Parts: sequence; C-alpha cells; structure tokens
Amino acid sequence: MDLSWSPTDIAFRDEVRSFLDERLTPELRRAGRLMTSVYSDHEASLQWQRILHERGWAAPAWPVEYGGQDWSLTQHYVFSRESTLAGAPSLSPMGIRMVAHAIVKFGTQAQKDYFLPRILTGEVFFCQGYSEPEAGSDLAALSMSAVDDGDDLVCTGSKIWTTHASEANWMFALVRTSRSAKKQQGITFVLLDMTSPGVQIRPLVMTSGEEIQNQVFFDEVRIPKANVIGAVDDGWTVAKYLLEFERGGGASAPALQVMAEEVTTAATAQPGPDGDRLVDDPAFSRKLAEARIRTDVLEVLEYRVLATLADGGHPGPASSMLKILSTELSQTLTELAMEAAGPRGRAYQPHATRPGGPVAEYEPPPDGYVGGEAWQAVAPLRYLNDRAGSIYAGSNEIQRNILAKAALGL
Amino acid sequence: MNFRLSDEQEMLRNGLDKFLATRYDLDRSRAAAKTGQGWQPDVWRAFAEELGILGAALPERVGGIGGGPIEVMVVAEALGRALVVEPYVDTAVVAAGLLLRAGGPAADEVVERIAAGTAIVALAAAEEQSGDRWLDVATTAHADDHGWVLSGQKMMVLGAPIATHLLITARTDNGLSLFLADVTAVEQGLEMHGFRTVDDRRAADLVLADVRLPRTALLGDEGQAWPSLTQARDEGAAAVCAEAVGAMRRVLADTVAYAKQRHQFGQPIGSFQVLQHRMVDMHMELEQSAAAVYLAMLNLGADPATRARAVSAAKATIGRAARFIGQNAVQLHGGMGMTEELAIGHYFKRLTALQYEYGTTDHHVTRYAQLTRR
Repeated sequence: MDLSWSPTDIAFRDEVRSFLDERLTPELRRAGRLMTSVYSDHEASLQWQRILHERGWAAPAWPVEYGGQDWSLTQHYVFSRESTLAGAPSLSPMGIRMVAHAIVKFGTQAQKDYFLPRILTGEVFFCQGYSEPEAGSDLAALSMSAVDDGDDLVCTGSKIWTTHASEANWMFALVRTSRSAKKQQGITFVLLDMTSPGVQIRPLVMTSGEEIQNQVFFDEVRIPKANVIGAVDDGWTVAKYLLEFERGGGASAPALQVMAEEVTTAATAQPGPDGDRLVDDPAFSRKLAEARIRTDVLEVLEYRVLATLADGGHPGPASSMLKILSTELSQTLTELAMEAAGPRGRAYQPHATRPGGPVAEYEPPPDGYVGGEAWQAVAPLRYLNDRAGSIYAGSNEIQRNILAKAALGL
Repeated sequence: MNFRLSDEQEMLRNGLDKFLATRYDLDRSRAAAKTGQGWQPDVWRAFAEELGILGAALPERVGGIGGGPIEVMVVAEALGRALVVEPYVDTAVVAAGLLLRAGGPAADEVVERIAAGTAIVALAAAEEQSGDRWLDVATTAHADDHGWVLSGQKMMVLGAPIATHLLITARTDNGLSLFLADVTAVEQGLEMHGFRTVDDRRAADLVLADVRLPRTALLGDEGQAWPSLTQARDEGAAAVCAEAVGAMRRVLADTVAYAKQRHQFGQPIGSFQVLQHRMVDMHMELEQSAAAVYLAMLNLGADPATRARAVSAAKATIGRAARFIGQNAVQLHGGMGMTEELAIGHYFKRLTALQYEYGTTDHHVTRYAQLTRR
C-alpha cells in the first residue's frame, strides 16, 4: 500500500508539464481560468481538444485501438491534475467521456469507424438528450416517441437541459420505442443528426445570464435504424452503463484542489473583517480549512474507486457517493470564493469572464471597464452556475436513494 | 407585549401590497434593470405620491408621516416579497437616517426630497482596500477658501448610477467625516463606472480627483461621522432583514406549490419525506427570521450596544436562513430553479446578495460574540 508516486510517474508528470508549457497558450489558459461553470468557452475547448489530439491525448481513457493511451491509473490522474493546475479549458464531456464509451461497448463496427475518429477531432460534437420536461429525476418516465417506419425511427417530442445543443451536430438520446409494464423497457438509445429536418432549439437563460442549456423540440425527425446503439427497446442498459461514467469514476479532486488554492490565494490578498488579511480571519479560515480537509479525503476516496476500476471492477454505488461529495464540496468552494470576493462579488461583469455560452440581455461597458479583478467577476457566476451540481446527472437526493438501497440494503 | 400593527400600519401594508400586486410586474422590472435605465422612475414617483412609503418613517417636519422602525419593517417586507429593485433601503432608510442625524438646512432639504420621491441618495463608503469595513477610509477631504476638496476612490456604491445625491465618507485632519454631494452640481473630478449587480440593481465605482464641494457639504461635525455611520449600517441591516423575510415568504410559498404540482415517479414530489422535511426546515428558518426582524426593529432605538447586539443576531439569523431557503428552493425546483424563466431564480440571486449587505453573516456572528464576551 502506497500513496507516493514512482520515479516513472514523476517522469510522466514532467513530460505532461513540458507539453502544457509548450502548447497551452496564454489565451487558452485564460479561457480555462476564467470559466464560469464546468463548461469552458466552446471555441477554446475545441481548439485545446485539437492540440491534445495531435499528441494523442484527447481521449486517453479510450482503448488504445481507438486512440486511447495505455496509461496506468496514476498516469491518468497525473494528466488530469496537471491539466487542471495549468488552467487548461475543459473538454466537452458528452462525446469523449460519455457516448464514446457506449459506442465502444455496444456499437457496431460501422458506428465505431464513423463516430470515434470524428469525436476525437471534434468534427462530431455531441449533446445529450436524456431529460424531458416531465422526466427529470424519474428519467425512465421519458416519453419522446420513436415510431418504427421501415429503415427509420420517427421521433416526436422534446428534450430539456441539453447542454450546447446549438453547438452540437449530433445528439445521443433516449427515446420511447414501446410501452410495457416496466417503464425501463421499451427505451432505445439513438444517435441523432442535429441537422435533421424537424429539430428546433430553444435556449434557456440561466440565472448567470448564460445560454448553455436548451430545450430541443422534435417534430417527426427521422433517425436511420443504423444509428441505434445496442438493441431497440434495450437502451436503458446502455444508459445505465453510461450513468456510471457521468456520475463518477473520474477525478474531481484535482479541480477542487485548484479551486481551494485559488480561494486561499484570493483570501490572502483580500481584507478581512478586522482589516487583516481575510485568510487570517478565524471564521473564514476555519471554513476554508474544513473544505480543504474534505478535498484531501475525497482525493483518496477517488483513488480507491479508480483503483477498483483499474482492476477491471465497477464503481457501482460508490460513483453516487463521489458525485454527492464532489458536487457539494464544489458548491462550498464556490461560495467561499464569493465570500473572498468581498463587495465585488455582487457585481455582474460577465465581460471579464469566459462563460461557456452567450450571455443574454447584457451590454458590456463601452470602455470595457472591470471593477476589481477578473476572479472577482468569475466568483458570483460560478456560484450561481454551480448550484446545478446537486441537480444534474441525477439529483443528490436521487443519489442518496441509490446509496440507501445499494450500499446499505435499505 | 404586542405584535399587532396599528390601523395606520395595516393600511400602509395593504395599500402597498395591492399596488405591488397590480403594478409591479417581475418581468417588466427585470427588463428595466437589465436593458433599461436600471429602475422604473414612475414606480418610485408612485411610492412617494400615491403610497407615501418613502416618508413613512420620516418626521412630519420634512414631509414624512412620522413613523419609525415598524413602518420600515412593513414597507421593506412588502418590497422584498415583490422583489423591488428600486433603492428604498439605501435611500429612504440609510441615507435619510444619516441626513436627519446630521441636520441643518442642506440635509433637511434633501430629506424632504427623499420623502417627495425626487431624490435618490447613495452612500459611498466601501473602498478597494477596506472591503466591507466602512471605518477604513483612505479618501481625503481638505478645506480651502472655497469649500471642500475630496480625493480617493469608492467601490460598489449601490444606487449611484441613478442617484441625485451622494453621501461620501472621507478623512479630514480631524477624522472620519461625511459629505453631501449634489451629483448634478459636481462640475469636475467625479468619474463614475456604473454596472449591474448580480441581483439586478445598479451600482458604481467612483474615482474622486479633487472633487470640489461647497462648505455646506460637510454633514454633522467634522471628524465625528462614525457613530452615525454605525447606526446607519444597523438600520440598513435591519431593513434588509425585513426585505429578506418578504422574499423568503414568496420563495417558500412557490417551492411548496411547485412540490405539490410537480410529479415524478407517479406522485407529487412533495409526497417524498426527504423533501417534506427540507421544506419544514425552510419554514422554521423563515419563522425564526420573522421573529429576528422584530428583535432588530424593536431595538433600533436602544443604546448602541443593545442595538448592535439585536441587529447582529437578526442579520446572522437572516443570513443563515436566506442561504438555506434560497439554495434549497433552487434544489427543489430542479433545473427550472436555475433559469430566469421562473421567479425563483431571481429571488435566489437577491437572497444571495443580501447575505453580504450591511455586514456579512460572519461579520455579525463575530460582532455578536464580541458584544457578549465577558
């Protein structure tokens, strides 16, 4: 048993660092540092993905034959940690980290040949079509109908909370192909061309002002049956497999460590309630220390789950635990950043940040004036956007239900 | 002991509630805040002329109705429930209090205009290095043959972009002092960078480069501004607490209604015990907040230490409640709670911002600890 890194791991870390030093441009770093949510600026994200792809590092977790890397668990962790520390923009999780795994596991050879290389280059950019207005936490209640018509399925209905629907050219979606007593049956996992006739997108303005989420409407949209992943009516199996990727099995601790570092740095420069540095204020420093302790512990917890994965095991209900812990910790840290920003944390200045989508109803000042520093403009937007953490990918209430059942047998 | 409102106070509340329900539309006020002037001057005029709320807590000699903290409570709570962005607390409570305590013809004239709805007054107290500590003032004022000359910077001055007057804290040779500036009469040296706040209000950063003010601009005694400023901060905190209670009432009502109407797993989500308990906790936070507002309001006239202890207890309680109720209202609304499409998202932003106004929750807990230490 050992928590330290081997000389090989350290050599690998140095290799990653020099790559980041060389290829991560100041502009890309800026886009990464000034992100206001888990989604980075779309263009910056794609540009970074192309640079990573040149090196073969866009999707290191994929099987080697499709363009992944034969890395050890520690190497994956090192790569993710170094990228985060360097301020790299995040890549969209929908393609590389989600649907690709379903294609690898359940896809036909033709589907693998078409989609996987294009996901790597960014030529195919996926969004996710799971939730519906009446099917959120109760995802299996989804009702968007897909009617069998020769070689096609004809889809009518609506999806909601579709991230980057306008930027995406493909969607992976769950649709209803038949109804039976058990609502999980009769769902089919499809890949849908967003340029098909009958697709309409309505952006949703979030409290941060950003338009990243959308409602998408489908009016008799035709999907060739060749774009079904797995078997018709058996999409729930595919979805369940992917949910574990969405909820955990990744490493969120490095990003949380970076957030905690940023808050600490900020609190060192900000005045506290007694005129001393905020970081010396007992109330604030205690809250920050508690968050950092939770982060240190989460890191080890994540190692353990990653080790299970590396041994070919399943994260199982532990992914629910990691999802709850990491999102709630992130919410705590964004709140501390808001506190550290002081009175500035209440100013709305999205022009000083790099949001993951357009900002509605906002005119930046003509002279580009920014009150305070850029991180102080980022703080409130991150706080607002981060409330989504305990709602998306199965709300934290749902995750606790899963844990009660699967971990405790209640 | 008596928690009943007088007939006049009841009338004030009913009239205001009725006005806001029919004439203060959430969408229209957000549009004004975002793309318009930042506020609705016609609404402000109606506050003064039709409802008399701007002078409700001001003395009759300056055109007010002669009320006090309970009138402020009634008005602020109603404005909070309707999520009014116009700067009632900043102008009619905080600034009016400072002006009244300073006294003198120049100050009285501005208070009269506040009651009449023709003056918006913003307090410029926070500075870059001070954070929220109003005592830490680097802006200077010195007297010359013509009057006063002010230099320095101020940040996050709420209401400044729409203000007719500014109250500016500055240090003279004799200490912390307060100055009144008629914005239209300032000829040079005042640079204003306006912006929106996260909760759709207007604020500005100010740069003062040898701003010249008349000799009458000094409010109260030179170097003696701090006691009045502390009192203004307590009065502002108490009023914001009342505003928060109004906002939290609406947020809890909306959340409960949503939990009854939203179905998942074949039943209303409000039937799930985990959510029921959450909403019961929200309810208890709200009831404690309402009680805390009385604690603050009924002690505003007490000696400074008693007043400070009561206000800190209230603001700390409301800070905790606004955080819990706001965050959980969003959580229980799911993704819809994070959009601008429902009221809840707008209320959440206000409930977030007000935790930091007139002293953060931590500040008030710490101050309470200091005041009760033996």
